[in-house]
Amino acid sequence: MTPSSSFPGFLREPGGPRILFIGGKGGVGKTTTASALALELARSGRRCLLVSTDPAHSLGDVFGIRLGPRPKRLREGLLAMELDPDEEVGRYLDQVRENMQGLVRPAMYHEIERQLELSRQAPGAVEAATMDRISRLMAQATGPTSRGREWDVLVFDTAPTGHTLRLLALPEIMAAWTEGLLRRRDRSDAWGRALERLSGGRAGERAGEGDELSYIDEVGSERPSDDDRSHRIREVLLERRRSFTRARRLLLDPAMTAFIWVLIPEKLPILESEKAVHTLAEHRVPVVGMVVNRVLPAGELGAFLEARRAQEEAYLARIGESFAQIPRVHVPLLARDVEGVETLERIGRILMGDETTAPPPT
Amino acid sequence: MTPDPDDLRGRLRRAGELLREFYEGRHRGALARSRRDEDDLFMLLVLSETMGIPNPASYYTLELLPLLYDRFHEWHLRMGMEHSPLEGFRCC
Repeated sequence: MTPSSSFPGFLREPGGPRILFIGGKGGVGKTTTASALALELARSGRRCLLVSTDPAHSLGDVFGIRLGPRPKRLREGLLAMELDPDEEVGRYLDQVRENMQGLVRPAMYHEIERQLELSRQAPGAVEAATMDRISRLMAQATGPTSRGREWDVLVFDTAPTGHTLRLLALPEIMAAWTEGLLRRRDRSDAWGRALERLSGGRAGERAGEGDELSYIDEVGSERPSDDDRSHRIREVLLERRRSFTRARRLLLDPAMTAFIWVLIPEKLPILESEKAVHTLAEHRVPVVGMVVNRVLPAGELGAFLEARRAQEEAYLARIGESFAQIPRVHVPLLARDVEGVETLERIGRILMGDETTAPPPT
Repeated sequence: MTPDPDDLRGRLRRAGELLREFYEGRHRGALARSRRDEDDLFMLLVLSETMGIPNPASYYTLELLPLLYDRFHEWHLRMGMEHSPLEGFRCC
């Protein structure tokens, strides 16, 4: 059987990736892994912001502390937060409301307000808001430290598999959509320009004479503000496209982002991980390491657990085959639940290969 | 009686404008219609969710709504519908 290795050392180096995603099936130990890794990075001098994106947060519970949507200092070099999608949606709607001033006749405010309130409940809103927040955090991670940023590395404790993969696919879908809309704008603007050329720039002159312009009737409600409106629509779409493209580029940049996969040596998590890692590879997302969690410790375990061990060995062999190219590290099953910083620090050392063998649990 | 040269120039210019109007008028109409169709399509794409067509970006296109409200109102009037045909999207 392949001995467990450790995570690539470059994670700890100052020039290492600035964005880490920890993914895996529900209940395999993503939050523990993310926390242990963040503690270890903080210890080696890379200041971390640990972010839970799972709507069912458990990050705070691991540290035995109440976390919220704003970063909270856990110790020197380690901040943590739990995203609150509802709050994100609210903030976004407020922004839309603000932009509305001056664009919409006040008589319509009420109607738009109703529309916005409906959107709060719309399917996908929470997901979209989470996605939006994640991409903004990622953009921040690549920006200069001087702008009040108190961390160097972002560690995402992501939601179970499906959600994570969706987050990866979203920028692409969104970019395609925005692209399509922008093309429509291009065509509309092209018609507009052709129309202007044909009018030979004499429209203004003739309007000054008080003529009724026939083409204005044709276009219906063409008003002077329409060009401005068209311009703003374009701006909104371009800004969206910029942010999706940036998130996608960062996600696929091995110098910037690293993906760490967590699983346990059991049938269902292995099957799910095979599918997920395959999809990640298809998207060309760099998976730099894999945590095989809760491996039975060495030593005499008794008949019952020995039977389990026989089964586990088959699973470990399969993991070795399926993920041959990915550095893997085994974390032993501990005698007690992971609770408190000490256990996390120990797991952190195991992850980085500083503690090679698992000593008998206390 | 000799014609006043200024008046003649004026008349020629007027004739020129009429000719121009005659030749270009039709094309102007066609261009304006094309643009209008394109804008309608754009608007309906943004509102597709409201019409029951799943739109992966509907959350992000919310910010376009204020820019499209007037156009939507104008559209349903032009289409001969006195009120908004969309359930849950009223503009008048």
